[in-house]
Amino acid sequence: MTAIGKLFRTTAFRLTLAYLLLFALFAASLLVYFAWNTHRLINDQITTTVDSEMTELSDLFARRGLRGIVFAIENRALRPGANLYLITTPAGQSIAGNVSSLAPGVMATTGWSETVYRRLDDPDSSNHRALVKVTQLSSGFRLLIGHDLEERRRLFDIVGDAAKWSVLIVVVLGLGGGIFVASRVLRRIDAMTGTTQRIMAGDLSGRLPVGRSGDELDRLAENLNAMLERIEALMTGLKEVSDNIAHDLKTPLTRLRNRAEEALARSSNEAEYRAALERTIEESDGLIRTFNALLMIARAESGQARGNMDNFDAAEVAQGIHELYEPLAEDSDLTLTVRTTAAPLHGNRELISQALANLVENAIKYGKPGGVDENTDGVEAAAARDLVIEARREGEQVLLSVSDHGSGIPEADRKHAVERFVRLEASRTLPGSGLGLSLASAVAKLHGGELQLDDNHPGLRVTLALPTAAAEGLAGQTGNVPQKSA
Amino acid sequence: MGGEVSPSFTAYFLVSLVSKGQPTTLHEGRVRAMVTETHSIHSESDPQMRLLIIEDDRESADYLVKAFREVGHVADHASDGEEGFALAESGDYDVLVVDRMLPKRDGLSVIGGLRDKGNRTPALILSALGQVDDRIKGLRAGGDDYLPKPYSFAELLARVEVLSRRQGGPAEETTYRVGDLELDRLSHGVTRGGQELILQPREFRLLEYLMKHAGQVVTRTMLLENVWDYHFDPQTNVIDVHISRLRSKIDKGFERPLLHTIRGAGYMVRDGMK
Repeated sequence: MTAIGKLFRTTAFRLTLAYLLLFALFAASLLVYFAWNTHRLINDQITTTVDSEMTELSDLFARRGLRGIVFAIENRALRPGANLYLITTPAGQSIAGNVSSLAPGVMATTGWSETVYRRLDDPDSSNHRALVKVTQLSSGFRLLIGHDLEERRRLFDIVGDAAKWSVLIVVVLGLGGGIFVASRVLRRIDAMTGTTQRIMAGDLSGRLPVGRSGDELDRLAENLNAMLERIEALMTGLKEVSDNIAHDLKTPLTRLRNRAEEALARSSNEAEYRAALERTIEESDGLIRTFNALLMIARAESGQARGNMDNFDAAEVAQGIHELYEPLAEDSDLTLTVRTTAAPLHGNRELISQALANLVENAIKYGKPGGVDENTDGVEAAAARDLVIEARREGEQVLLSVSDHGSGIPEADRKHAVERFVRLEASRTLPGSGLGLSLASAVAKLHGGELQLDDNHPGLRVTLALPTAAAEGLAGQTGNVPQKSA
Repeated sequence: MGGEVSPSFTAYFLVSLVSKGQPTTLHEGRVRAMVTETHSIHSESDPQMRLLIIEDDRESADYLVKAFREVGHVADHASDGEEGFALAESGDYDVLVVDRMLPKRDGLSVIGGLRDKGNRTPALILSALGQVDDRIKGLRAGGDDYLPKPYSFAELLARVEVLSRRQGGPAEETTYRVGDLELDRLSHGVTRGGQELILQPREFRLLEYLMKHAGQVVTRTMLLENVWDYHFDPQTNVIDVHISRLRSKIDKGFERPLLHTIRGAGYMVRDGMK
């Protein structure tokens, strides 16, 4: 497409053309209306004067005869800018008047007609036209009275010129403006197109240029940029996920395969085969868990779980999870306690329970106080082994948190920790899919909330911050009873 | 694992290792136990069951039929929904194992159709759709249990045996007895050999469930579902820890253990070995 062709195809240019046509038509019709009205006005004026003179002269002829009228005509014909007068015999011979020639046949018909004529006193007026009226007087004489139409013609010329010029100016200005606007828009659109093409080619970091005028194109560009931002984040996420899936699923699959191969090659008795098979099953169970967690996250993230929501108290969830995990924590030499106040929620109870369970499992796995605090005394050491599940309402939010006094997560790593499959270096050796926090985060997002990681001085506090249920009906159902584990 | 060698492919399941509540270490993932006795993971005292497996995947179906036969049950196979419906309607089965997605007629519709005709044969739904919503849908359609794929045969067997027992419909007893262990469901009292045991409410419910299905294998997932009402898969051995606490209360200090760990499957309460 050529540059001009492109210009002509722009919406701005087409709009300009349409408006141009509209305005030209408007100007033309205005002029036509004006010209037509003027024409009528001039004709009216002429017919009125001619008619009245005709009456006057006919009267004169009736009263004073031929002599009287000839005298009057000759008298009037001499006045400057006078009307046209001609009186003829029944045979057609001219008797008096200021007309030297007429178009043939004009005198033969009575009534109004337009004709070319020549004045006696102005031989150059050959091209002039006149509006004339011919009347039959008594005894066969004919009287012609008319008025020159030069004035009307000049007026028409002026109007015509005006029309020509105005249309020309409208067209020139309109085209110029259209081209200006269109090319300006086109330049910006071209810039956008260029960027989008780069983005389509794979460079997701490209962003549309945003001007400073804040006009509709800028707003569009800003919105598109925001969209690109989101797409880039999603794409990066997706890429990381697929990389991580490749890693976290391929690694155990490879182990699985190697073990089977090794068992085939090396095992000499059934006990060895059985041991290999048992490890294979364990490894497959791990894989299945990872798949399940991935599916659950995908489901929570896509919002499919929205259908299964009801009202419940987060405090009950916290107590239930505490009850389930308290013995496990104790076995790991940690003390799991729960503190709850009524916290009405609207959501998927199963998913929120699972999210909280994941947080507690993480706390049990990673929440042991680090070995560096050798100088703490017994009481502090005991406090450091506390894991706390907390459920409470704060304003419009329900906060479900799990805090530990473990090594925590450095602030720089916290955002990273929520991502799928991320297992911070320290935890690589412990079992787990690395999906716990991602699932908790996905569940929080599904409920319109978020997952927060904070410093517990020392340790980590992970909080599911969810919007509280609109209904107040649940408040007060659960007493304000802090529970201490047995 | 000693030199225990079993000739059949179900050896893995057939060899069960009974734990006496040896000290456990968490990080080994599973409760390790000493080998003391050998018996089947499915209850020997259970009568033979007649099963119908409605599953379109030939290989899975063959595997299930063979595996159920190996543990002494009778299993028939239907490869599509229509055939399954016809067989289930005419045959006298104890339990139906129904795949959710079937050719000709969907698994849920097969179960719904049977229920409409007054056929109340317990049905377990197998499905690749393992999510909470799907499970609820399956149970609403008339299914009695729901097991997401992939599953272990031990899990399926345990669930099927529990379902089959349910069909027999013995009146809900108010007292469960296993050996000298007695659980009163009304007073929430538990005694062993006349000696009162103090259990936490949840430990009571755990024991209640185990004793209700005494002589049957109960898997960890079944416990999590039925005692705690959670349907997710914990990444840690929470259930084992609860069991080991319960075991320390009911078996510690007694000569005959009643709460057994069935390796590769779950747990079972029973009065010693016959």
